[in-house]
Amino acid sequence: MFIGLLVVLLLVSAFLAILVGTLGPIGPGDPERISFSDALDAILGLKSDHPAYYSSVFWDVRIPRVLLAGLVGASLACAGTAMQAIFRNSMADPFIIGVSSGAAVGAASAGLIGLTVVVGAFTAPMLAFACALVTVFVVYKMGTVRGKVYVDTLLLSGVAIAAFLGAVVSFLIYFAREDYHQLIPWLLGSLAVAKWSYVWILVVPVALGSFLISLYGRELNALLLGEETAHNLGADPEFLKKVMLATAALVTAGAVAFTGIIGFVGLIVPHMMRILVGADHRVLVPAATLFGASFLIWADALSRTLIPAQELPVGIITALCGGPFFLYLLRKNRTGGMMS
Amino acid sequence: MEKTLAKKEFVIWTALLVAVSSVLAFTGGYMVSAVLTEDEAGILLVDDYGRTIKLDKIPERIVSAAPTPTEILFAVGAGDLVVGVDDYSDYPAEVSNITKVGSYTLSTEVIISLQPDLVVSSDLVPISQLELLEDRGIPFVVLATRTLDDVLKDIRLVGILTGHVEEANDLADSLEERIDAVTEKTMAEDVVKPRVYLEYYPYWTYGPGSFGNDLIALAGGMNIAENTTSEYPMLSSEFIIAQDPEIIVYTIGYMTTTTAEEISSRSGWSGITAVVSGDIYSMDDNLVSRYGPRIVDGLEELASLLHPDLFA
Amino acid sequence: MRLSVSNLSFSFGDSKVLRDISFDVANGEFLGLMGPNGSGKTTLLRCLTRYLPDGAHAILVDMKPLHTFTDREVARTFAVVPQSSSTDFPFTVKDIVMMGRIPHVHSRLATSRKGDAEAVSDAMSASGCAHLEDRPFSELSGGERQRVIIARALAQEPKVLLLDEPTVYLDISGQLEMMDLITKLNKEKSLTVVAVLHDINLAARYCDRIALLNQGRLEAIGPPENVLNSETILGVYGVDVAVRRDPFTHNVFVMPRSTCAPARKDGVRVHILCGGGSGGPAMRSLVENGFSISVGVLNVLDSDHECATDLRVRIVAEVPFAQISDDMHAENLRCIDETPLVVVTPFPVGPGNFKNLEAAMYALNAGKKVFIMAGGSTSGIDFVGGKADAYLSNLIASGAVKVDSVDHMLQLLAHEGAVKR
Repeated sequence: MFIGLLVVLLLVSAFLAILVGTLGPIGPGDPERISFSDALDAILGLKSDHPAYYSSVFWDVRIPRVLLAGLVGASLACAGTAMQAIFRNSMADPFIIGVSSGAAVGAASAGLIGLTVVVGAFTAPMLAFACALVTVFVVYKMGTVRGKVYVDTLLLSGVAIAAFLGAVVSFLIYFAREDYHQLIPWLLGSLAVAKWSYVWILVVPVALGSFLISLYGRELNALLLGEETAHNLGADPEFLKKVMLATAALVTAGAVAFTGIIGFVGLIVPHMMRILVGADHRVLVPAATLFGASFLIWADALSRTLIPAQELPVGIITALCGGPFFLYLLRKNRTGGMMS
Repeated sequence: MEKTLAKKEFVIWTALLVAVSSVLAFTGGYMVSAVLTEDEAGILLVDDYGRTIKLDKIPERIVSAAPTPTEILFAVGAGDLVVGVDDYSDYPAEVSNITKVGSYTLSTEVIISLQPDLVVSSDLVPISQLELLEDRGIPFVVLATRTLDDVLKDIRLVGILTGHVEEANDLADSLEERIDAVTEKTMAEDVVKPRVYLEYYPYWTYGPGSFGNDLIALAGGMNIAENTTSEYPMLSSEFIIAQDPEIIVYTIGYMTTTTAEEISSRSGWSGITAVVSGDIYSMDDNLVSRYGPRIVDGLEELASLLHPDLFA
Repeated sequence: MRLSVSNLSFSFGDSKVLRDISFDVANGEFLGLMGPNGSGKTTLLRCLTRYLPDGAHAILVDMKPLHTFTDREVARTFAVVPQSSSTDFPFTVKDIVMMGRIPHVHSRLATSRKGDAEAVSDAMSASGCAHLEDRPFSELSGGERQRVIIARALAQEPKVLLLDEPTVYLDISGQLEMMDLITKLNKEKSLTVVAVLHDINLAARYCDRIALLNQGRLEAIGPPENVLNSETILGVYGVDVAVRRDPFTHNVFVMPRSTCAPARKDGVRVHILCGGGSGGPAMRSLVENGFSISVGVLNVLDSDHECATDLRVRIVAEVPFAQISDDMHAENLRCIDETPLVVVTPFPVGPGNFKNLEAAMYALNAGKKVFIMAGGSTSGIDFVGGKADAYLSNLIASGAVKVDSVDHMLQLLAHEGAVKR
C-alpha cells in the first residue's frame, strides 16, 4: 500500500538525513569528516574513541533538526491539502489566510522591540505565533457573514491582508535596514535554529492537527464538489470549514513561528500526492503529511550541505527543487484539460 | 595583515595610486581615496569609487550621508561644518541637533535646502541617490572602507577635505599608535591565538574579507569562519561545534536579541569550550561595524577580551 | 415513507420566496416540481434538504419534523442530483460515488467498511456506470456524469431522490436516457422521486403528479392531465399552449401556439378559403398584421381547423371527412358577404371541397377583392382531374390576383390604398 511506502520513505529519509551534514559522513567534510562507523557509534551512544562533540552533533543538532523538519514539513503539507480543499482551489497554500504575513510582522517586530531580553528566548516564536493567529482571525472575520464562511471573500481578504502586512513587514525591514538581513533566514525559512524544545512544543499539535484533518477526509472530498453538495451528503460545510481553517492555521502558525516562512511545501506536496494517489482525501491527507515530512527533511539536508560550513535558507531549496519537480510532474501527467 | 603605512610612504603611495586609479576607475573595483593636489586653486581627489572630484575651495557646508563619515568628520574637528547627517548618525552626541537628511533613501530636497557644497557618504548609500545631488551641482565623496588602514587614510583624507589637516593627521597618528600598541602584544611570537566566533546575529558571522575578520586577526584571535566562502556567512551549527570556539563574542546592535544565556542554551553547544568556560562576551555593534575612529576602541576591546592577561 | 409539507413559507430577507406551500408525497411516487424561473422550485428543494434550514419545522418525514433530524439523518432521507457537477480535482468515479456513504459512516477511524464497497458497486450497477469506475470524473460527458451523481445519490440509500433539473445540460437522447433511468429506479426500487423539471412534456410523460409553483405559491398539484391545461399554463407561464395527447402513450403534451397577439375583432375582415394545412401561415400572418379573419369551409380534424381553433377565429366547419354540405357552403358565402377581401390558399382540391373554389368565384362576382396564393404549381393538389387548375385559371382571368405570399398581397393592397388598417 502506498501509505506504507511513504512511511518507509520517511523513516529512511530521516535516518539518512541524520548522516548528512557539513561534517559528514555524507556531506562536504569541512572542516573534518566523521566516518560512518563513528557516526553510528555516536548515534547509538556506543563507547568509541571519537571526539566527545560527535554525540552533540548528532543528538543536539541533527536529530532535533531532522525531527523539526519532518514536523514542519508534515504540518505545512497537511494544512496545505486542507486549505486547497476548503478553498476548492489548487493554488491555495497554508499561508493563504494570512498565517505567514501575520507571523512575519510578529517576527520582525520582536526584533525591533527587543523583547527577548525581558521575556526570554521564545519571544520571537511566541510573537510570530500570536500575530499569525490574530491575522487569521481578522481574515476569517472578513470572510464571514452572520456565521457563514464565504471562501471567495475569505480568499480575497487573505490576499488583501497579506499584501497590507507585507507592506508593514517591508516598512519594518526598511526601518531596521542596517539589520534587515537578520530577518532573511526567517523570511525564507530556516531550520538552523532547531532544538529539542521546539520539537517537543510542535510534536503534539502537529500530530493532533494532521490526525484531525485526516479524520475528515471524506467530508473534504464532498466539499470539493461544492458546499451545497457537501451539505446534501451529510457533511456540515460550515463546521468543516471552521474546524479545518482553525486546525490548519494553528499547525502552520506553530511551524512558521519557529522556522520562518518555508514556502512551496504546502503548495506542491499536495499536488504531487494528488498526481500519485488521486484526490480521495482519505488517502491524500496522510500521503501529503508523510511526504511533506520527507520532502522538507531532504530540502533541509541540502540546505545545510550545499555550501560547506554554511546555511542556506531552506525556503530557497524548497522553491528551487520543488518548482521544477512540480512542473515536471505536471507536464508528465497532464493529458490536456484539467488536472487528472 | 600589512603593517600600517608610515607618513612618508603615504606620498609615494598616493602617486602610485594616481597612476592606477585611471585604470581601476573603469574596472568598477573599489578604490582607495586619495588627494591628488591641494592648493589655492582647490582640491583634486579620487574617492573610494575611483571617481575624480574637483573642489574649488574647502567646503563650508557638509552633509554626511552615513554614520562612518559623520564620526570621522567630528573626530577631525570638522563637526562645525556639518549641516546635515543621515538618520543613523548618532555619534558623537552633538549630531542629535543636526538636520537629518534620510538614510539609504536620502531626502534630496532637504539636502538641497541645506545648500551644502559637499556630501560625504559611505558605500552603504546607493550611488544613484548621490548622483541626483551631483546633477544639481552638489559634489560628493564616497568612503568605502575595507581595512583598518583605510580608516586611517580616510581620516587623513577628510582632514585635507575640511582643512583640518593637523587634527586629522594627529588623530590618525594616535590611532595608529594605539593599533600598534595592540598588535605589538597580540602579534608577539609566543601569543597563543584562541579560536574566536564573532557573531552579529544568531549563526551569522564575519567571513574572509570582512572587517570583523581583520579585527579578530589583529586582536590576536583565530576566526573560526576565516576559511568559509563568503564575507558574511551564516554558519552551520555543527560546523561551529566542530570548530569549538574558545571565545564567543556577540555584538549588540539595533535588532539584536541575543544573550549569553541564549547562546549557551543553543542545541548541542553545551560542550563548546567557550560555553563551558563561560567566555561569552558582548560588544557594541557600532564599534565593529562603523569604520571611523571608534573602530580602534573596538579593536582594543576585542583584544582585551581575547587576551585579558596581555591587557590587564 | 411519507413526506408531508404543511404551510411552508420561506423568505430571503424581505422577499417572500415560498408562501404557504402544502403537499404530501406518497411512498414510491414520482412528483414533478414545475414553474417558471424564480417561482421557488429550487428553494423548495433546498428547504427539503435543509440547506435552507428555516423551513424545516414545516416539513415532516414519516410524521417526524425535519428540524429534529441530524445532518446525516437528513442525508439518509434525501439524496440530491443537481443540474450538473464538476470539480477540478482528479476524483475517480468511484471516489465520487463513495462520497454517498458519508451519512452512513459510523466511525471516522475506519477508512472504509465492507458495506460501503457493496453499496457503492450496487449503486454504480443500478445507474449504469459500473464500467466507468476508475475513470476520472472530470473526463466524463455530461450524461455520464449525471449517471455517476445518481449512483452517488443511490449510495446514500435515501428515502427520497431529489433532482434539480437533472437533464438541463443534456442533449435530447441524454434527457430521455436520464428520465428513463430515474423512472426505472422509481419503479423497480420504489424510490420516491421529487424532481424539478423544466420541460413540461418530459414532466408530463414521466411524473405521476405535477406540482406547479408560481411566485412562491402552489398553483396546482395533481396528475399531469389535470394540471397541464392551457389555461393554467397561460396563467403561470404566460405562454399560450395547445395541449394534445401523445398518439402512442396518450400522455398529454403541450405545444406552444403562435405567440402572436390574439386575433382582433375590429380589424379589416378577410375570409380565407383553405384546407389541408395550406392555410396556417396565411392565417397567422394576417392575424399578426391586424386583420380580423374568418376561415371556411374546413373539416373538423383538418390541421387548418386546429390552427384556426388555436387562433380563436370564426370557422365555417364541416364534420370530419364529409363533403361540404349546402348549409355550410351557404354559411361560407355569408362570411364572404361580410368581407371586402378573400384569400384562396393552395389547398388540395377534391370533389368534397370543390365548393370552396366556387365560393371564390362567388366573391369575384360580388365585387370582392380575391387573392390567390401561389403554392408553386397547383398541380399535384388537383384531385379532380384538372378541373381545379382550370377553375383557378378562370378565376385569375376573371380578376383574381395571384400573389406569392401574404406580404406580397399586403404590398399590393397598400399600393392601391385600398385597405386602411
